Amino acid sequence: MEGSLVRVNLLLAGVGGQGLITMGKIIAEACSLSNTRVLVAETHGLAQRGGAVNVHVRIGDVMAPLIPLGEANYLVALEAMEALRNINYCNKETNIVLNREVVRPVVPKVKMLSIKDVSDTLAGYRTFTVDASKMAHEAGNPRAANVVMIGFLYGLGAFRDLVDRGSFLKAVRSETNVRAFEAGEGIAMASRLTASL
Amino acid sequence: MKTSIKVVLGNEAIATGALAAGVSVAAAYPGTPSTEILESIAKYGKGVYTEWSSNEKVAFETAYGAAMVGARAMASMKHVGVNVASDSVSSSSYTGVEGSLVLVSADDPSMWSSQNEQDNRYFGLQYLIPVVEPYDPQSAHLLTLRSFQLSDSLKHPVMLRTNTRVSHVRAPVEILPPAEPVKGKLMKDPHRYVLAPENARRDRKEQLKRWERAKSMVEELNEIEGEGRTLVIASGIGYPYVKEALEDLHLRAAILKLSTPVPIPRRLILKALESADVVALVEELDPVVEMQLKSIMFEEDVRVKFFGKDLLGREGELTLDRTRRFLGKVFNVDVPEVPSLEVAVPPRPPAMCSGCPHRSSFIDLKKGLTSAGLGKSFISGDIGCYTLGVLPPFDSMDSGTDMGSSLGLANGVYRATGEVDVAVIGDSTFFHSGLSALANAVYNNLPVMVVVLDNRSTAMTGQQPSPSKEIDIAGVARSLGVEYVKVIDPFDTSNSVKVFTEAAKWVKTNNKPAVVVAKRACALDAMDNVEGKPPVALVELTKCTGCSICYDFFTCPAIIPREDKKALIDPDECIGCGACVPVCPFKAIRIEGDEPMGWREAWLG
Repeated sequence: MEGSLVRVNLLLAGVGGQGLITMGKIIAEACSLSNTRVLVAETHGLAQRGGAVNVHVRIGDVMAPLIPLGEANYLVALEAMEALRNINYCNKETNIVLNREVVRPVVPKVKMLSIKDVSDTLAGYRTFTVDASKMAHEAGNPRAANVVMIGFLYGLGAFRDLVDRGSFLKAVRSETNVRAFEAGEGIAMASRLTASL
Repeated sequence: MKTSIKVVLGNEAIATGALAAGVSVAAAYPGTPSTEILESIAKYGKGVYTEWSSNEKVAFETAYGAAMVGARAMASMKHVGVNVASDSVSSSSYTGVEGSLVLVSADDPSMWSSQNEQDNRYFGLQYLIPVVEPYDPQSAHLLTLRSFQLSDSLKHPVMLRTNTRVSHVRAPVEILPPAEPVKGKLMKDPHRYVLAPENARRDRKEQLKRWERAKSMVEELNEIEGEGRTLVIASGIGYPYVKEALEDLHLRAAILKLSTPVPIPRRLILKALESADVVALVEELDPVVEMQLKSIMFEEDVRVKFFGKDLLGREGELTLDRTRRFLGKVFNVDVPEVPSLEVAVPPRPPAMCSGCPHRSSFIDLKKGLTSAGLGKSFISGDIGCYTLGVLPPFDSMDSGTDMGSSLGLANGVYRATGEVDVAVIGDSTFFHSGLSALANAVYNNLPVMVVVLDNRSTAMTGQQPSPSKEIDIAGVARSLGVEYVKVIDPFDTSNSVKVFTEAAKWVKTNNKPAVVVAKRACALDAMDNVEGKPPVALVELTKCTGCSICYDFFTCPAIIPREDKKALIDPDECIGCGACVPVCPFKAIRIEGDEPMGWREAWLG
């Protein structure tokens, strides 16, 4: 929390089947390649099937597997509405990264929220919206929205000096994933630039 | 020894720990959060016999039998699986073993994927079996090895108790190399292993002697860290939470890191208590350590200020917030509550997959029951993906309590009301513990319609194989004496509805059980077994009236409403299974594209 301890808490949220576990795996692999301590707490079993899922990623001087309420440094929602479901892990300093995508829950007569509804509810939070699914398509792997988001986090500086770029490029493995990572990284750099102007 | 660092799941760390210990026989029944243990042993173990047993009792007995003849053996299961295995777990503590026997119990505090959050450390107290409890993947790896060593030295079973936040946490782990599997050799000792009263009485004395040895042998698995007049005893997963919470709150305390919650290390605890004025105990779920600790303190006349379950609570998993608040009260430090926001978000429960045969089965069943005049019947369900039948739009499950319970509960409901009811059970659950209940239904003449949802696998835990691949359920039902047995394809809606109607009427008329087997493969499994691009369903917008039946009453995840309420099929989500085609009353859905190689075989083989 303070002093010499360095901790990064990333909460990954979305819908079962969107690649959240893989996203956690890639980050864990990259941390390991950079000799950084990491814990990734996953949700398995029934919740995988179209249900709401979150994955807790804790990096640095960490021992406990779960992020405390109000202490996520980053919340990444591969499905935008899922950011709202996990809002209690955020504080006003948390960077909330939304994929520009809503997925209809498999529930009869469900009332959906739009991206705009989600953004409006998050007014007052530090929010970024990324076309991760679209960018993944363009990078040649429609399933790589998770990797676009990792690139975006990296571009924002989420991993501080704990994980180096080379570790990520190695951990994402495929060529299309490297492109997806770079695409995400690129727009994060651009948004940092805009923010500092 | 040469170790390697790999990023693994806690369960893989347990599996590789077992391999490092020389396990030679490993058996399990799948169940979250335990499943990946056996999967990993099967994947990485060379010369190790592994099997998915038909239930946890058989899995445990497989390991127990192997350990009787000197092998190093392990059985792994979720916490409620130990209930099923408990009869033989109890016996194993009486007889002890020649080799080593480790039972892995994967508990699920907060019930992420289970019907309860029972604390299986109680089994240790009840059956006099030492319980070893890790707190992260690395400790799980090492403590698995230590559990085998403990069992080997004691000649007694040992329980390794993990939980969701150990088993399903991924982290870099330093992994020991596998050892040569230690097999058994045929040996006999009936005076020990046949628990006839005379033998059992002798075994009981031996069991108590081993338990005394266990009490002293567990001492070395626990340690004291740091110093202070406050002693925090942290059991299992409590340890990392305590470490971080103390750091966060800048507090100093002596920590007793407990890896054996049963039995607790008496000597070490007394040593730690010598310099303590205040004792705070952090353990998840029930006061298992607390009861033993208080008993020791009473016996030794130790009087200290004590904080435990009264302040920490016993419900749900531990969190850092909860541990901080607890330690805040112990140290009289203010820990502010994090304000909680209420934000309206649409519910998102788990759902049956696109192409799931259960969806069609439930819709067909509902129609069949209604047309047979049994639309209000009690539907006794069971444990599997199909438990989702409780959710709307199906609303087709009135109970679902534990593995194999559907038939027994249906029996009770009928005996108490005289109303014909329905039992819905999956194929893997049928072989797990439904068989004996079906025999009972025949033997005691239960008028029940049994629906076996045979998707050819143990789907919920990740499509492990099920005995249904080898054993024909309809044949089993006939040979048990069920007179009405029919097999349907749930996608063949009109025939399925007809058979469900007929079966329900037959039960009412004949006052005997009928069995309908709804046979079609799990969609995830089927898609793994086809080569090439599957076909896709399309909506003809000129025919679609926007009636909403397909997305609100059938609820395939691939079908979504457009702005004008007409249906749209998401081509990325659709697998072209065709289940929705007969659902549309306006014939507006058609399938386009050719069936890839192996398509029919994958679904119906």
